[in-house]
Amino acid sequence: MRYGMIIDLARCIGCNACTVACKSHNGTPKDIFWSQVLVEEKGEYPNARVVPTPILCMHCEDAPCVKACPTGASYKDENGIVHVNQDKCIGCKSCMVACAYDARKFMGGEPKSYFPGKEVTELEEVQHTEFSRGVVSKCDFCADRLKEDLLPACVGTCPAQARIFGDLDDPGSEVSKILVKKSGRTLLSHKGTKPSVYYLAR
Amino acid sequence: MSNDSSDRSLSSVITWNKDVKVMPYALFGVVALIVGAVAAIMTLINGHDTMFNLSPEVPWGLLIASYAFFVLTASGLAFIGGIGHAFGNSAYLKINRRIVVMAFAVLLAGFTQIGMELGHPLRLAWYMLVSPNFSAPITWMGVLYSIELLILAFELYLVLKPNPTEKDHRNSAVVGFCAMIFGVLAAATLGFVFGSNTARPFFHGSYFSTFFVVSGITAGAAMLLFVHNLVYWGRVPSSLSKTMSSLGKLMATGIGVMIFLYLWKILATVYTPAADGGYAAIRELLSGSLSTNFWGGEILLAIVLPLFLVLITKAQSMKMLGLAGFIYIVGFFFTKYDFIIAGQVPVGGDDFIGSGINRMADFQAYVPASGEWLIMLLGCGVFFTFYFFAEKILVLEKES
Repeated sequence: MRYGMIIDLARCIGCNACTVACKSHNGTPKDIFWSQVLVEEKGEYPNARVVPTPILCMHCEDAPCVKACPTGASYKDENGIVHVNQDKCIGCKSCMVACAYDARKFMGGEPKSYFPGKEVTELEEVQHTEFSRGVVSKCDFCADRLKEDLLPACVGTCPAQARIFGDLDDPGSEVSKILVKKSGRTLLSHKGTKPSVYYLAR
Repeated sequence: MSNDSSDRSLSSVITWNKDVKVMPYALFGVVALIVGAVAAIMTLINGHDTMFNLSPEVPWGLLIASYAFFVLTASGLAFIGGIGHAFGNSAYLKINRRIVVMAFAVLLAGFTQIGMELGHPLRLAWYMLVSPNFSAPITWMGVLYSIELLILAFELYLVLKPNPTEKDHRNSAVVGFCAMIFGVLAAATLGFVFGSNTARPFFHGSYFSTFFVVSGITAGAAMLLFVHNLVYWGRVPSSLSKTMSSLGKLMATGIGVMIFLYLWKILATVYTPAADGGYAAIRELLSGSLSTNFWGGEILLAIVLPLFLVLITKAQSMKMLGLAGFIYIVGFFFTKYDFIIAGQVPVGGDDFIGSGINRMADFQAYVPASGEWLIMLLGCGVFFTFYFFAEKILVLEKES
């Protein structure tokens, strides 16, 4: 079993629902984004447009972050998902430097509220207990939701259905069938990390 | 009777050197240590966010640079000490007590930097024992520098032993040789911590392992030249002229090798910008946000000026050698800072659509916060306090 994702760039409308769903479900503190949408401006007025590219942890098969972690805090589970054990992380950030996708975020202080000058809300307070200070965190394909047979939050929420999630090892899965039919590509494939997140061209 | 003899033998090592006027340096060290320790405690209480200016774009900043600066200098000193101990180079044997004390002090200073840079320094020791990941270069770097610290501590004991026997001399030679080997290995492994990164093309490869070892040995020589001038207030005794001259030549040779390394690294990258060889980082260094640091800090201070001063005086003027050493040390710091920041230039290219816009601006916005400078001051404080008090109370002039 190797979980993977396809992001269809032709369908993506750059609405950032995935970003919000990720933050909402995982309760990541202020300034910590596990899922985000990069936006590039193209052309000039009046023929200008924005081109969105959603990114997240690529859960690479040959993950350089796992190799670079000195304590084994970054590890890969049997489903191909790369995790960070927050209790083992020493905050050396070598995994961040090893990651070509900027998918890992370091939390250097106490979690901040999204409401400047205000205390954290009750919900934030509860969600922030999941996050230690001085460690690195990242997307884990919403492993807690997968256990309940739910899709990752970003996949489930996408209004354009631009994200397809499934088992890359199963030839019968939707992701495998789509990848056979359409040539999906991975970002920075020349880095040789074999990402589990594929992109379909616009 | 036996007490008397042990006192006499101990006084050959521990004393109070009235003639050695280093208290201003030692007191500067104490002040720096106190100020730095306050910053360190504040960092431990408040976390990195409030004290450091790091970001997802630049996760490694000034403290990684200062760590490299200190530990590579220690490796260089251990190398020079090894030449004296293991190969009987009389010029370096003359100052071997100083070399070992200095290497130990500088390495301790380096450990303070990496300790404060980590999010959880206390977890490090535990999990490195319980679940070390041997495929991580940073694990090996930690292991090798820890071994190096132990070797230097043992060497310290051997070279400061009163009334050393023939066996002690032999042991010193073996331990000095080990310090040299492990120092070089540790420095090269630190280079591999960066060189093993495929994500950062500027770091990738064997270049920095080589550059670290060469520039570290050069820094060791520079440090000895500078500190001797401090200890003697610019009047280094003629008995050490040959030693200083030899160190000056070693430093000049090191700078010469560095010129080659710089030249071909830059040419190879600029010549084939499309080869994913860190062109963006080199561009940042040559003409981007780090260009002042590069041309002023590295080329002028680490190469042109010290080399000019050594060559123009034919490595004979003690004062000029001390000045060249000091200038190189400052330049050496720039070589470490620039390379670490430049190497983290956001990964771009057509394959990563939209990546080269805002992230570049965030990358260029990295300026070390005052908290980071104060932690670096802590490292300087550790070195100045440890070394200059040792200079005051130990007999370091004597060849062991």
